[in-house]
Amino acid sequence: MKVFRLALPLILLMGLIYTFNRQISIQIGGETITLPPIGKFVDPESGFWANAEIELSESNELALEGFNGNASVYFDERRVPHIFAENEYDLYFAQGYVVARDRLFQMELQTLDASGRLAEKIGERALSRDKTTRRRGMPYGAEKALETMKQDPKTWEIVNAYADGVNAYLSSLEPKNYPLEYKILDFEPEEWTPIKTAHLLKNMTRTLAGGNNDDRTSNTMEYFGADFIEKFFEAKPELNDPIIPSSKEWDFERIPVEAPDTLFKPASAVELGEYERPEGVGSNNWAVSGSKTKSGYPILANDPHLSLTLPSIWYEVQLRAPGINSYGVTLQGTPGIVIGFNENIAWGVTNVGSDVMDWYEIKFKDETQKEYWHDGKWKPTTMRIEEIKVKDGETVLDTVIYTHHGPVTKVESNINEEQKPVYHALRWIAHEASNDIRAFYGLNRSENYDDYVEALSHYVAPAQNFVFASNEGDIALWVNGKLPNKWEYQGRTVSDGTDPLYDWQGWIPFEHNPHVKNPERGFVSSANQESAAPDYPYYLDDDFAPFERGRRINDKLAAMQDITAKDMQKMQMDSYSYYAETLLPSLLEWVDRDSLSSVDTEILQLMKEWDYFMDGDEIAPSFFRHWSGNFYRAVFYDEYETTEAVLRYPSRDRFVEIIKAEPNFKFIDDIDTDKVETRSEIVTASFHETVAELENYLGEFGDKWKWGYFIDNDIDHLASIPGLGRQNLFSSGSSEAINATRGGFGPSWRMVVELGPEVKGYGLYPGGASGNPGSPNYDFMVDPWRTGQLFELNFMKEEPKEYLYKLELK
Amino acid sequence: MILLILLIITAYLINLVLPWWGIAITGFVLGFQMKPSSGKAFGIGFLALFLLWSGQALYIHLANDGILSTRIAEMLRVGSPILVILITGIVGGLVSGLAVLSGGLVKDSLKKEGKN
Repeated sequence: MKVFRLALPLILLMGLIYTFNRQISIQIGGETITLPPIGKFVDPESGFWANAEIELSESNELALEGFNGNASVYFDERRVPHIFAENEYDLYFAQGYVVARDRLFQMELQTLDASGRLAEKIGERALSRDKTTRRRGMPYGAEKALETMKQDPKTWEIVNAYADGVNAYLSSLEPKNYPLEYKILDFEPEEWTPIKTAHLLKNMTRTLAGGNNDDRTSNTMEYFGADFIEKFFEAKPELNDPIIPSSKEWDFERIPVEAPDTLFKPASAVELGEYERPEGVGSNNWAVSGSKTKSGYPILANDPHLSLTLPSIWYEVQLRAPGINSYGVTLQGTPGIVIGFNENIAWGVTNVGSDVMDWYEIKFKDETQKEYWHDGKWKPTTMRIEEIKVKDGETVLDTVIYTHHGPVTKVESNINEEQKPVYHALRWIAHEASNDIRAFYGLNRSENYDDYVEALSHYVAPAQNFVFASNEGDIALWVNGKLPNKWEYQGRTVSDGTDPLYDWQGWIPFEHNPHVKNPERGFVSSANQESAAPDYPYYLDDDFAPFERGRRINDKLAAMQDITAKDMQKMQMDSYSYYAETLLPSLLEWVDRDSLSSVDTEILQLMKEWDYFMDGDEIAPSFFRHWSGNFYRAVFYDEYETTEAVLRYPSRDRFVEIIKAEPNFKFIDDIDTDKVETRSEIVTASFHETVAELENYLGEFGDKWKWGYFIDNDIDHLASIPGLGRQNLFSSGSSEAINATRGGFGPSWRMVVELGPEVKGYGLYPGGASGNPGSPNYDFMVDPWRTGQLFELNFMKEEPKEYLYKLELK
Repeated sequence: MILLILLIITAYLINLVLPWWGIAITGFVLGFQMKPSSGKAFGIGFLALFLLWSGQALYIHLANDGILSTRIAEMLRVGSPILVILITGIVGGLVSGLAVLSGGLVKDSLKKEGKN
């Protein structure tokens, strides 16, 4: 008894300490929530409280072990670091150091994700994501990139300098100072190595060039026929306005490729995974020549649209050393600046929608999958065993078969259960060896157009529209990256893995990539629309962004004169909807007014008076987007839902064109009813449906229907940890507008640069330099971003006298 | 009262050098040395760390304008940063209370064994 009395509190104590020292999963309303180790977590000395920023860092001199160099880092009032170093090693060392200091968790999480190692740190829940990452060949591609980086002494020096900088910061870090997220997810940061830089770059390729329509197009062709494909995916809308205008003349002969006589028909309707590109991943950039500006020097603008997160994907920095003085934004884990400017030039990027991800149906000799049929013979496969460690679980071994195309995925038909599984190999640009850092290294130091072109020649993927302006007065745009030389429409459907004519037969030579320099119209621009006019000799893809943003940019730039940097900032916030302009008048014409209530009439009146700007304070945009969406679904969903197969949906801009031109378009009829519906009936029904839905969702017609609420703009935390993001940001804009803000996607960095004797930059991203959710700096630029206020960028020529604080790295 | 103050001071100091469970060591040792009555032991131990940790948390909460505690409240779905501060105090208090109690009981049993 005594023993028991004595032992009980002790056992309780031990049990309590044990429980409070580990993560606990609890069920709340069907949802599993993993709590951090609660004792460790709330400890005011080393737990999360230690991450609450109470005072600003002080200027400090840091003697770092193993560092023989010298770099001064000045933080300005927005805490942007300006790094001054005497040589390149010290420069990139310091960049690695300060980025790790502000964004360690982000850089590590992104590389863990890109290398399929999330489960190792956060457990089983990430296992299927890791498997997909590896089966797509992400680590395989990164390993190849690493080999290329090693062969370039310059690249190898700077990725190592960067890694040394990150590791110098890591070795100064005690557990109590770990970034908050490590404490929440309960793991420890690990050493940084150059391959992580390669992983990070492949991650960008996955984000921007990790989509394709192969299965969707094949299935659609099978179900709706070649005419449908021709109508919606080959014909381009009349308002289409390609990036490289038709005024450009091509003074070369294309390198020929041989195409098969008939198109391969895949075994069955299959779904190859989630590869549809989300709308909202897209971007704008443009440059105007001095002939159109007030100052007489070019102005360049860029806003890459990505999934918005906190901390932001971008980090502002200035890099200054002999041979370089560059300012801009960098990706965490990559040395150098990705988008920015220096004293002579400015550059920016938007994504190219080229098709660089193709699926091949594979014929194996037998179940061992040791040989596959290609080019009239059996060829050996190779095997790659992926070892996936799992936190608190057993290590998983996943064998992935590789053909010369790439990694193979087994696909079960979701239509026909009897059918044997088929195998598809993935050919993807992310599997290419690449040395993209070298391109940014060159851009950061470019003094003129020729330097810029030389730098671009090193770039592989994801292909980007690189816009350029210099204070020599040049403007230019190169659609750039390593692009496969394809026959027309090659790879938009599932390819024949046995026939070499379906292989990527070569590459478009760099000099043949679409580009334009100093065009007569006085500006260049891109908004992810089609890369070049139809006379461009190569095939790139049949799927580019709708014309809307690109055309709006070109309309505006063509009309503008005496342009200032302020004008360009204003233009980045333009929310005009070409979609509404082209569709709404017709909807209003077709809707049957006899069936309308008084509220309905009021809504219709509002729509009629609307000027097509997707303004947060207006109700019309909410109603239009919902109504047009319901109308689109009413037209297509009944036919699309007759099969389980994944199908490809027509793009918005082409849909508008067809529905206006063809009142009897066969898809208008609702096939689920006996009656044959007219266009007017469908429009009217979707009108009523929209009113009902909005009432149901937002309450009675009124201020709550404003687009600013409806736009659903959230900036979530990078790892979706609740409480660390910003929800429901009232904003203007839309995916079809220049200010392409919507549903958590949008301009992730806005930049305007005015070239000239004194280059002037303006910019901001929705976030802050600090990745610490316990710092006021973490999200302080979110509201200025929402309202379109850009900060003047503090581009320093000399080491400054005034600054917030300073770090001396020695 | 002396025990309370000693508990707070030693817990604070040991927490600077050891992980969070260091507070159990000082609690146990002081419980062993000073041996409060069993009824009071848990109460005093609890109160000491409740005061220390929630006090520290409150200070950080105020100095940080509640930026982080508000986020953590949302993450833990407890609604208010004040509750986060209280949870901090209670977690520390529970461990400390049990540690002081155990320390006292161990001393007790050793003494009794000695008598036998």
